[in-house]
Amino acid sequence: MKTHKGRILFICIIATVFAVAICVQFIRIQNMSVAQQILEDSKAYQGVTRLVYPNRGNIYDAKGRLLAGNETTYEVGLDLNAILKSQRTTVAKAVSDVLGMDYDQVLAYTEITPGNGNPFYIQLDGFVSPEKIMQFEALVKEYKEMKVGRNEIRPRLNGLMWTPHNKRSYPEGTTGSNVLGFYKYLDRTQGMGYFGVEETYNSLLAGTPQMVYTAFDPQKLSMLDEIPPGADLELTFNREIQAMAEQELDDAIEWSGAKGGSILIYNPKNGEIIAMANTPRLDPNEYWNYAELFPNPEPFNPTISKTYEPGSVFKAITVAIALDSGAVDLDTVYSDDGSYEIGGVTIRNWDFGAYGDVDMTDCMRWSLNTCLAWMAEEIGPDNFYAYLKAFGFDRNTGIDLGGETHWPLKLPGASNWYPIDLATNAFGQGISVTPIQMAMTVGAIANEGKMYVPHIVKAVIIDGKRYEVEPVLAGTPISAETASKVTDMLTETLMDESYEKANIHGYTFAGKTGTGQIPTEYGYTNPLTNASFVGWGPSEDPQVLVYVWMQEPTLDIWGSQIAAPVFSRIVEKLVVLMDIPPDNIRLSNQAPDQVMNIGE
Amino acid sequence: MSTINTPPAYKQAPWRRQLQIIGAFMLVLVIVATIAGLYLSISGRAAAAGRRIQQLEMRAKTLNLEINDLRTHLALISSSISLNDRIDSLNMQTLDPHSAVYLEVPGYSPDLRKEIDRDPEPEAPKATLLPEYTRSLWDWLREKIWTINPNPLQDANEVLP
Repeated sequence: MKTHKGRILFICIIATVFAVAICVQFIRIQNMSVAQQILEDSKAYQGVTRLVYPNRGNIYDAKGRLLAGNETTYEVGLDLNAILKSQRTTVAKAVSDVLGMDYDQVLAYTEITPGNGNPFYIQLDGFVSPEKIMQFEALVKEYKEMKVGRNEIRPRLNGLMWTPHNKRSYPEGTTGSNVLGFYKYLDRTQGMGYFGVEETYNSLLAGTPQMVYTAFDPQKLSMLDEIPPGADLELTFNREIQAMAEQELDDAIEWSGAKGGSILIYNPKNGEIIAMANTPRLDPNEYWNYAELFPNPEPFNPTISKTYEPGSVFKAITVAIALDSGAVDLDTVYSDDGSYEIGGVTIRNWDFGAYGDVDMTDCMRWSLNTCLAWMAEEIGPDNFYAYLKAFGFDRNTGIDLGGETHWPLKLPGASNWYPIDLATNAFGQGISVTPIQMAMTVGAIANEGKMYVPHIVKAVIIDGKRYEVEPVLAGTPISAETASKVTDMLTETLMDESYEKANIHGYTFAGKTGTGQIPTEYGYTNPLTNASFVGWGPSEDPQVLVYVWMQEPTLDIWGSQIAAPVFSRIVEKLVVLMDIPPDNIRLSNQAPDQVMNIGE
Repeated sequence: MSTINTPPAYKQAPWRRQLQIIGAFMLVLVIVATIAGLYLSISGRAAAAGRRIQQLEMRAKTLNLEINDLRTHLALISSSISLNDRIDSLNMQTLDPHSAVYLEVPGYSPDLRKEIDRDPEPEAPKATLLPEYTRSLWDWLREKIWTINPNPLQDANEVLP
């Protein structure tokens, strides 16, 4: 009995020692440095962490119509682990037939053994249309329903994968493309917006990519945090008006033989861009044609990026400065003998004529260079350039579009400034501007002296909430009284027979033509010109400003012959599209939101 | 004085003793099996729910893509280029501004901006896992005991508001 107890005790001790040794070993293994490494490595097998890119935000026009959105496309690839040896030729043939890829090349891909430095997955095409995916699905279905004999192998497409993702799409094609810019969607991870709204608002549209962890263990799965898409943008831009402006511009270029052109339709009351037509226009769906369409240094959007000497449209600014500074009044008389001497240079009128005693309205009516040169001297160089700076000719307008430029303003005292510049600047020569600068500054005349920063985004929509963009006042360079005087003056001149081509039936607008000579390295020797027209109205309450710039027309050199009729045609259609009542209805105090246009 | 070591008057029958040991063992076994079964059942349902979540998330992603796609397709067929093509194919002409007549229609507002001036979309109710899938058995037992007698100190006649 005693011997028996001793044995049991011995076995118990051995078992206890063994159990303790196992526990010690457990603890030791758990705390080894390699164990920590194994633990870390094991996390890779517990789930997958991916960087998820949100859907890029949509861009809408002022009426809620989609200008830039996303459409579904597919990535097609080969999961090399899943491809059956017996089905390699089936997969290669399917890919070759549907995607038009080389059969031998695809077959070679299917024969790659994954691992040991070889890929596990091969992407065949990143952007396959849904129609082609339907062809793959039809093949899968056909193979599934195929009757095969006992010794035959059923064809399968195991290992051929297609995954949907978004692709940027511009339903309007080239319409408004200079304003929208484009998104390089072929680069799915580093893609970004270029030019226009896509560039300026890239970070808002793109949203914030997030790292998302998905556990393989179903017990650890839970709802993933929803990744908010990029912000949607609502533009001030009107698709119908933009399409109309582009059509008019194309027609005008063809008719006038111009090299190019721009049409800007702008709301002077708040700085909203209603339309901005340019040539050439890129289809952003095929953005890779950019370099071909815009050879260096052709700007993507000339309205904001190309400067030119505007010619007589600038006289509207000069006369506003002259009236505001008190240098002249409406009744001031200027005696025109056809020439004006300044800085040793003689200024002459556009037709080399002499008009005798003229008041300020006649100066504008006949667009007299001599009168404007005299006016600038009356203002004085310091005062004149101080006003030009107040109008913003020495800087960008600040429009929310990528790529804006401006021509540096030559100022008295600078080495490149001469007294003659004061006179020529007064009638728009020797000074270069962009059309957007001209629209903003003339907008001050149309809007009681208040000048707004032009902008294209009306509202930002984030998570279904709409945040309106407030107009920004760029300055008040002239008084409301001066603005009203200039508008009245230019309304009166536009009624003159010589401006017949700019008239709009049933509506009263103010406006000014411009014919800008083009400087070369030898002076103003280019026989071609820049023909412009700026007009705003209805005169008593301007709701819209239209700026037309035709580059180097060959049919005629004068703004009154080339740009003025384009302005007239645009405004005739614009008043219909914008529901602006004609003078007889509007002036009888009818509520403008209770009327509609219909055709006879 | 001597003590007499008296043996017990009776002794449990060996079979009865064995039956008690087996009974206690079986009781422990049943309890363990019950707990294990419960755990397996709950964890199985949790896993199935997890997989379902995954599938629904995939479905939501696909639907989002489809919505984007349809929206873009709609924009494509109603784009100015498509509409102009349709106008041409129907032998229709765009309005000549000179032939437009301005008529007053009380109450008519041509502003279509309301399409996207909508109120914020109501936030979709976020699905949450039932507590059965997240709490431990101990939590469940504690909650059940607490629910049976939520406030033992409360007077039985007291009327709660």
